[in-house]
Amino acid sequence: MFYPGCSLEGTARDFHKSTLAVADALDIDLQEIPDWICCGATAAHQSDQTLATVLPAQSLLAAGSKTVAVCCAACFSRLKTANHEITSDQAIRQDIAEVLGQDYDGRTPVKHMLEILARDVGLDEIARRVVRPLAGLKVACYYGCLLARPPEITQFDDAENPTLMDRLLEAAGAEPIDWPHRTECCGGSYSITDVGIVKSLTGEVLSMAALAGADCVAAACPLCQINLDMRQKDIEAETGRKIGLPVFYFTQLLGMAFGLDAKQLALRALVVDPDPVLGKLDKLGVAQ
Amino acid sequence: MSQTPQETLAETAGDFAAEVEALSGANLARCLQCAKCTSGCPVAGRNDIRPHELVRLVQLGMADEVLSCQSIWQCVSCQTCITRCPQNVDIAALTDALRRLSRAQGKVARGTTVPTFNDIFLKTIRKRGRMYEMGLMTAYKLRTGDLFSDVGKFPMMLRKGKLPLRGPRIKGKGQRKRMFARAKAVRGDRK
Repeated sequence: MFYPGCSLEGTARDFHKSTLAVADALDIDLQEIPDWICCGATAAHQSDQTLATVLPAQSLLAAGSKTVAVCCAACFSRLKTANHEITSDQAIRQDIAEVLGQDYDGRTPVKHMLEILARDVGLDEIARRVVRPLAGLKVACYYGCLLARPPEITQFDDAENPTLMDRLLEAAGAEPIDWPHRTECCGGSYSITDVGIVKSLTGEVLSMAALAGADCVAAACPLCQINLDMRQKDIEAETGRKIGLPVFYFTQLLGMAFGLDAKQLALRALVVDPDPVLGKLDKLGVAQ
Repeated sequence: MSQTPQETLAETAGDFAAEVEALSGANLARCLQCAKCTSGCPVAGRNDIRPHELVRLVQLGMADEVLSCQSIWQCVSCQTCITRCPQNVDIAALTDALRRLSRAQGKVARGTTVPTFNDIFLKTIRKRGRMYEMGLMTAYKLRTGDLFSDVGKFPMMLRKGKLPLRGPRIKGKGQRKRMFARAKAVRGDRK
């Protein structure tokens, strides 16, 4: 079952569209959990512990015991944390049952789309489906905070040096670059409440990607993507340095490799113009 | 007989440290003050109290200092501190607990709008079931008086389809309302 999360219905509609397009190309059934609700995000865990667990629990319960696919790294973190708390503490499970009016055992499996594509579908199968390799495209794979941290809860990949997205995009023909900021924080939801934090953290991530020779960034989280993409022009204006790095969702890059078009992948929703990078890709494609 | 670290902390720091430990589930007595948390913290550079100092102040029972500091509202919840702590002291959970206590005791640092944002966010979920970005931004701007920041981005976001004007409405509003109320009550029982 699919848990899109709230951002995918708004600011990250391109993540939503490209995920469904890629899933369709691979014959993965992404049926939405009926009447899923918001995971509560940062606002809930900063305010009310019980609410922060019961909100994800309601949607997970509605999924039956089927595996839940998640796109947003923040939702992923909240859903996994709720499962962890409910399975590791009987008192919490009882509290949640009381608040929810129904017992939830915390055992509905939760997976990020990266895990589903790279592990369940598998890199060989991904490579087999590629019709337009992303040859020569230097990608800075950006994981942000919540996919890999804390590892006891997310059980995603190495917490300090995750490589799952790198391997996935490599299977699509791209050249993921080695860079140190793959798990640094972008500032997340402080984009609204304390934009100074976001501009400084996001600026560091972007300039490191540029310095490491990236053509573009690949993101796996709506908050990371919007901060890196939508704040980029402001950061360039404040620092006086041009960055010019398009920030794709990894599903958009994968979709390109599968031969899907710009409309199917909602590439026009990107703020930093992706055309120069797409042009480079076309040229390299012709040269091969 | 040797004491466990837990007992030692309760004796030296008294009620405040014990309350924070109970609320957060973080075992503060294990902290070695190695400052690995602070080294990796993306916002430590701008903090009035840095993560390892926060732990120490709680150990010492200095409630006012930690509950009214700016730092707890600047933490970006990136989970780097807990991931790297060699003693597994859950500083991220500690910070969440301090935020809740700070609000409950009316000690929120001046100038931060994070609690206002969180209130509007949660109210939106209670009412609609899902987040509604346009509504959230409008309500936040009206409540904080921060009317003009990022307004210039709205036309672009609308053009790109990133800001749906119509908000979601997921059924079960009454049930959610009861759930929110019960969550509050359960928390009260725990204390």
